[in-house]
Amino acid sequence: MYKVQKIYKSYGELKVLNNIYLEFPKEKTTCILGPSGCGKTTLLNILAGLIPKDSGEIFGFEGDKSYIFQEDRLIPWKTVKENLEFVLKGKMDKNRAQEIIDNYLGLVNLEEYKYYYPKDLSGGMRQRINILRAFIYPSKLIIMDEPFKSLDINNKKILMDFFVDLREKDNKTCIMVTHDIEEAISLGHRIVILSEKPSKVKRILDLENYKDRFKLKEEINRELKNGMIVIPLNINT
Amino acid sequence: MKKFILRDRDLSLYSKILIVCLWIALSRIIDNEIILPTVTSTINGLGKIISNPEFLNILGYSILRSLFGFIISLSIAIVMGVLSRFSKFIYNLMVPVVKFLSSTPTIAIIILALIWLSNEIVPLFVGFIMVFPILYETVLKSILNIDNKILEMARVYNVNKIDVLKEIYLPSIFIGLSNILSSAMGINLKMVIAGEVLSQPKYAIGTNLQIQKIYLNTPGVFAWIIIILAIGKFFEYIMKGLVLCIRSKRYISPMEN
Repeated sequence: MYKVQKIYKSYGELKVLNNIYLEFPKEKTTCILGPSGCGKTTLLNILAGLIPKDSGEIFGFEGDKSYIFQEDRLIPWKTVKENLEFVLKGKMDKNRAQEIIDNYLGLVNLEEYKYYYPKDLSGGMRQRINILRAFIYPSKLIIMDEPFKSLDINNKKILMDFFVDLREKDNKTCIMVTHDIEEAISLGHRIVILSEKPSKVKRILDLENYKDRFKLKEEINRELKNGMIVIPLNINT
Repeated sequence: MKKFILRDRDLSLYSKILIVCLWIALSRIIDNEIILPTVTSTINGLGKIISNPEFLNILGYSILRSLFGFIISLSIAIVMGVLSRFSKFIYNLMVPVVKFLSSTPTIAIIILALIWLSNEIVPLFVGFIMVFPILYETVLKSILNIDNKILEMARVYNVNKIDVLKEIYLPSIFIGLSNILSSAMGINLKMVIAGEVLSQPKYAIGTNLQIQKIYLNTPGVFAWIIIILAIGKFFEYIMKGLVLCIRSKRYISPMEN
């Protein structure tokens, strides 16, 4: 289990995260929803080790982890293959890396783009490589910051299916920040709703307990709109 | 686009023809070989210089000095640029050095170099003080312009620092430098020859220019200028070829090839 306890974070006088307790079940996808600017990305960046927390404890995030960014963050002067090789360097020998890259590219029908440069790929295709990079990387955990945000509806659907295919193959633990309730319901096993700044965990929903997706969506909507009420959580730490 | 490039070339050719015509006309009007030699006497002077048994030595030494000096300047600029990016101390240490080299009159530094250094080293030093600030600032700017998001990606994926340097920093530096490399090399050549004029090494274009000046052999000076222009053009082609070759291998997609 990946776990965070009593996480606090402020930027100067501005309190962003206020006593965050969370557990992320292994091999499941946890989606974090919350109002704009409530500190979802800050929380992800703390989990990824990109920014320091003010206080609190983090368990299980020490090892290698993958990150799917909002933007593709591909190196422009490297081909698709070289971009993928770049993150595998030093993690395994060259032949093994080659084998994995070929295997994954074949699996998702992207072999023909192996020697393409990012500028020759569409936005959706580049984002697919961004997702593929996260799955190819030998980690058990994938952190995702609104990976489908900048895509049109068609590409979003294609990429969400693409993500689900890869997730089913690898059984990785995924933590995803999103604004989109539909996206969270489609991809998540658990949904965490954060409150307005300074953010607290407002509600945790395990999706297996909800058979009626429409009601679930209504409930999440209600929680997100109802910014003033904070439902206390009992988490055994 | 192609038409536009061709039109440019045509204009450049017309301009060159115009300069030669102007030279011929002026030399006829002035009719004094010391003030403005004719094209014929310049060609004769060129013949004499080329037929000199030491010509290749002179040419070779000057080219080597220029190339060697440029490689030193480039290497130091890259090392100091990278160090300045990572060390505030080195960055601040370099600020007055670069300012001093860029704003102090070059001739004042040359005079000091003549006092301090041997005559073989002075031309290299003169080239260095002129091109180092340009190269250093380009390297630093290229590094500072690297997309932080890509560096962050490398950090998240725990990419080795040496690989980040090799695969992100160096290509970015190369992209920045490729725009100024041939002009910096041209400036370096000119400054090395100026240094040779003052320090008088045994085999040097600058030394020979000075000799022609002492004997008031203006056609000889003009002939050497033509040789220097040819070397400059040669360097320019080499650099452009090198940049194109590396770019085509590294940065142009298979679709475009």
